[in-house]
Amino acid sequence: MSRRRAIWLVARRELLERGRSRAFLFSLILSVAIIFAGVFLPTLIGNAAEAQHLGIVGSPPAGLVENVRSSAKIAGLTVTIEPVSDVATGDAELLGGSLSAVLVVPPDGSLPSYVVKGRSNPLLQQVVAASFTQPPQITLRQLEPPDPNRDVSFVFANVGVILLFISIFTFGTWVLTGVVEEKQSRVVEVVLSTIEPRDLLIGKVLGIGVLGLVQLVVMVSVGLGAGVATNRFSLPSTTGSAIAMLFVWFILGYAFYSTALGVLGALASRMEEASNASSPISFLAMGGYFFALFVALNDPSGTAARIASFIPPVAPMVVPLRAALGAIEPWEMAGSALVMCAAIWALFVVGGRVYSGAVLQTGARMRLRDAWRAAGRNG
Amino acid sequence: MATVSRALRLAATGDADAGAMLEITDLSKRYGSVVALDGASFTVAPGRLVGFLGPNGAGKTTTMRCVFGLARPDRGTIAWQGRPIERAQRLRFGYMPEQRGLYPRMKVGDQLSYFAQQHGLPAKAAKAATARWLDGLGLGDRAGAKLEALSHGNQQRVQLGAALVHDPVLLVLDEPFSGLDPLGIATMSDILRERAAAGVAVVFSSHQLDLVEDLCEDVVIINRGRIVVADAIDDLRAASTRRHLEVEVAGNANAWLAGRPDLAVVEQRGDFARLLVPADLDLAAVLATASAAGEVRRFAFQPPTLSELFMEVVRT
Repeated sequence: MSRRRAIWLVARRELLERGRSRAFLFSLILSVAIIFAGVFLPTLIGNAAEAQHLGIVGSPPAGLVENVRSSAKIAGLTVTIEPVSDVATGDAELLGGSLSAVLVVPPDGSLPSYVVKGRSNPLLQQVVAASFTQPPQITLRQLEPPDPNRDVSFVFANVGVILLFISIFTFGTWVLTGVVEEKQSRVVEVVLSTIEPRDLLIGKVLGIGVLGLVQLVVMVSVGLGAGVATNRFSLPSTTGSAIAMLFVWFILGYAFYSTALGVLGALASRMEEASNASSPISFLAMGGYFFALFVALNDPSGTAARIASFIPPVAPMVVPLRAALGAIEPWEMAGSALVMCAAIWALFVVGGRVYSGAVLQTGARMRLRDAWRAAGRNG
Repeated sequence: MATVSRALRLAATGDADAGAMLEITDLSKRYGSVVALDGASFTVAPGRLVGFLGPNGAGKTTTMRCVFGLARPDRGTIAWQGRPIERAQRLRFGYMPEQRGLYPRMKVGDQLSYFAQQHGLPAKAAKAATARWLDGLGLGDRAGAKLEALSHGNQQRVQLGAALVHDPVLLVLDEPFSGLDPLGIATMSDILRERAAAGVAVVFSSHQLDLVEDLCEDVVIINRGRIVVADAIDDLRAASTRRHLEVEVAGNANAWLAGRPDLAVVEQRGDFARLLVPADLDLAAVLATASAAGEVRRFAFQPPTLSELFMEVVRT
């Protein structure tokens, strides 16, 4: 039997056993809930003002209705506009509550009036007023073309980093616990009587990685779908490449972190020791995450962010963020991906040996150096 | 001490058999300053049931782990059918480690099927073999249960199933009888006998020497990393220079023994005495002395038990 089939069998087992587990279902539901909360909570809380209904008596100047609509949208206000036959009808509808405000435009060209029942909605009033008055004729000169998607990109970058961090770390931790479980339950000795230790680790990383991809696909589609469906945002033209970057860097970041965590997991002999053994990697990941959110997000083309793009533990969070903000050169992207691949390969060579040396040892928690030496004897 | 190896004699004579056996030659391994194996050599032939004995820490588990590549010897070779063992051959072996372990939350049927596939069986054949072995082990109705839901005894059966599901040509079991109840011991014994009869080379370690004596044809005894005995049990017992003599003379309270002060008494109670004597003892003379003292109700001349031989060998 080929090594490839052995790896495939391991990956398949992880995929089936964990894919059917409550833990995965729970993780999926939780991630969808987080995404929904992110998309809808601002709608529910931020725009507390309810929809406004504006009645118009008489014929408004050309363009006014359009102006009201567009400025209301900018202000995040939902406005419906309907013509009203005369002032008396308007007053009746105001009192009845079916209209929020009535704009009366006298046919003789005299000053229009703005009628409300009691308290006026200040936002609607401002919107109407701003739409009405003729703006002073100021010429606009732009030094740089405006980027209509600047805000959306910023949100994408932000959310992207969070998604990446959650995904990489959730499923990296699964590899860690999977390795410790096999060691603790001693099944690893049975498994390794047929398969090389390195292949077991590769299969485990692959199988759990597929689950991670599934969850990422669900999160991204739910987020984008819900956002577009509820008009929270429209997709900028860079959406496709931003999502592609998200997946590429999930794969790279996951491969890096899950391998490192799996190797450290092999040093622990019981689950209680696992978090202890993995703490160096957890700190690295947290560091990368905070660096991305607090440094790279503010200055995505600054020196710090540029350097960080070539540091493997940090790059998976920083590079997609810079890409989403359009603040990275293509050569930087390619270069950092190459550095990342090299780091993953090196980690597999070194980590694979440590894993081989440690995974069959029982008793006290091992030190890295001892595992490396043990592999020389056993591997 | 019997050091002539029956298996080695086999290797020298039966060429057809010699190729198909497990040959362990000059195996040595150190863990730091601890010598686990010190030039151990023995063979296991197809169809033979070999008991692998030795005190704790003698090197049994290390030897078995070396067979499966779980430990790498510092020196020496392990060959199957005359060729050094590689992964392809190892896939046709079955292993039951001393530290039992399977996936606790995986269904029993899925689990055996998984191990069968890891041993190279295609998915369909793995499924069929799983069903066959679960039935054979009396677990046919538990295929869909998670391992952790099974009783301890049944988990042990599944563990044996994991070693057997791919119909291995060599079966290596580390302490397969430890923790089993009498019923479990009987089942395990039946299966091992049946496998050996089917032509499988079976080697297992155990501290239950009476059981090994009942079950095995051959024993290999290891002490401090060296093989001190590798022989058929019957030959070993016959080759011993000592015998046990059990005598019971009615109503004599062993007074007749005073006439034979040269006989070493191991045990005596009432009219019964158990003696350790040289193999070439003149039995007729002893019987005559005993008969003169009274009615001889028991007079049994036997080679030492495996457990006595074992003690002799590992204490020297």
